[in-house]
Amino acid sequence: MNQLPTGMYQPGTSLVHRMKANIKIFCFLILTVAVICTETLRGYAVLFLFTGILIYLSKVNFGTALGSIGRLTWFFILILLMNICFYGPDDAWIRIGIFAPSYEGLMQGTHIVARVILMLVICNVLTVTTAPLMLTEGMEALLFPLKLFRVPTEQVAMILSVAMQFIPTLFEEAEMIKKAQIARGARFDSKKLLDKAGAILPLVVPIFLAAFKRADELSLAMEARGYRTDMARQRRKFGMPAGFEWLALATCSILCILQIVFL
Amino acid sequence: MNKMTTVKKSIITAVCIALCVVLPQAFHAIPNAGSIYLPMHIPVLLCGLICGWQYGLLCGLVGPLFSSLITGMPPMAYLPPMMVECAVYGLIAGLMMKLVHTSKVYADLYISLVVAMFAGRVIAGIAKALIFMPGQFGIAMWTTSYFVTALPGIVIQLAVLPTLVFALMKARLIPTRYTNEA
Repeated sequence: MNQLPTGMYQPGTSLVHRMKANIKIFCFLILTVAVICTETLRGYAVLFLFTGILIYLSKVNFGTALGSIGRLTWFFILILLMNICFYGPDDAWIRIGIFAPSYEGLMQGTHIVARVILMLVICNVLTVTTAPLMLTEGMEALLFPLKLFRVPTEQVAMILSVAMQFIPTLFEEAEMIKKAQIARGARFDSKKLLDKAGAILPLVVPIFLAAFKRADELSLAMEARGYRTDMARQRRKFGMPAGFEWLALATCSILCILQIVFL
Repeated sequence: MNKMTTVKKSIITAVCIALCVVLPQAFHAIPNAGSIYLPMHIPVLLCGLICGWQYGLLCGLVGPLFSSLITGMPPMAYLPPMMVECAVYGLIAGLMMKLVHTSKVYADLYISLVVAMFAGRVIAGIAKALIFMPGQFGIAMWTTSYFVTALPGIVIQLAVLPTLVFALMKARLIPTRYTNEA
């Protein structure tokens, strides 16, 4: 818990850093559709190439962009093995008890692993190149159509923004409480599952109490300064996309259409 | 001082969303803890119980999304069914707390919790069977993944959540439900 595994914002001046948050989130959504619609290895090759170019343009080092993938290596191996052994028993190469490894299973496992890796890397690039506050404002801008359905988008955006800002604080708080509990004799490194679960419980209740105390203080401070949820407030105007942003939108859209129609 | 204003409900929701990211990390030392201890469900259910269905719904939708974006857990492939499940937890927990009034806080909490936990699992199962994993998700898989594997998590939630609500009431961080139980 010492640090967030991935996705911490790193300031920069690259092309991707300079894109408006709402455009970046929209591009991210288009790329998500492209990843979901990809069915062939050729399609994945194109997407991996595109993701590589994206990392190069964002000037984020490859280690940061691929950060959480290393942690999930065993998860990927497990998913791949399970799919190989159990997915397509009809055309199995060989049968050993309940295991029936097949080409179909290998392909299905590869699809899942490739999709998860692509989504993780694209997500990392988005969060590493966009400040949390900008990300929230971008979300608010994209949530604007929900106003038609009477969804209080300003309030939702405020909640998202406060949540983003609370995450590092609560990480620190949880780390402090964890150390305090270890000092009192809690064993988080026990090999026994029940001991570990038992040690987690005294961690959960103080974290919640500390978090709610912070929430109480913040809400009191906001109300004392006259914050009201039922009044209109100023919103950041993102304006029209610049030339390179149109280009990014067009590239992502073309890639998505290519994945759906041709690849 | 401890009146639940809209601002306070919003901030508590924000804190619960943040806890959806932080709490699974606290359980990270235990292998496969996410599917066994269900740490992300605790803040979502709590948000629904305390703030109401709208806030619980938002927390259930955004909590897993933020966690996936920031920590990579749950992986993107598992995110949509998880969002559906958590959203139903928050929604039903809030609705039940609005509907159920037995004049005993613990009774209200347990009824709301049990109904929300069951409804969330049923709707998530239906969503998986019809939308996310059509043809691959059956009743046996549903029972195993949502009840057998998750049994320690269910027990932890039933033990911790009412206690947490009561502790928050005692600490005057949220208003008491009935005046005679302060």
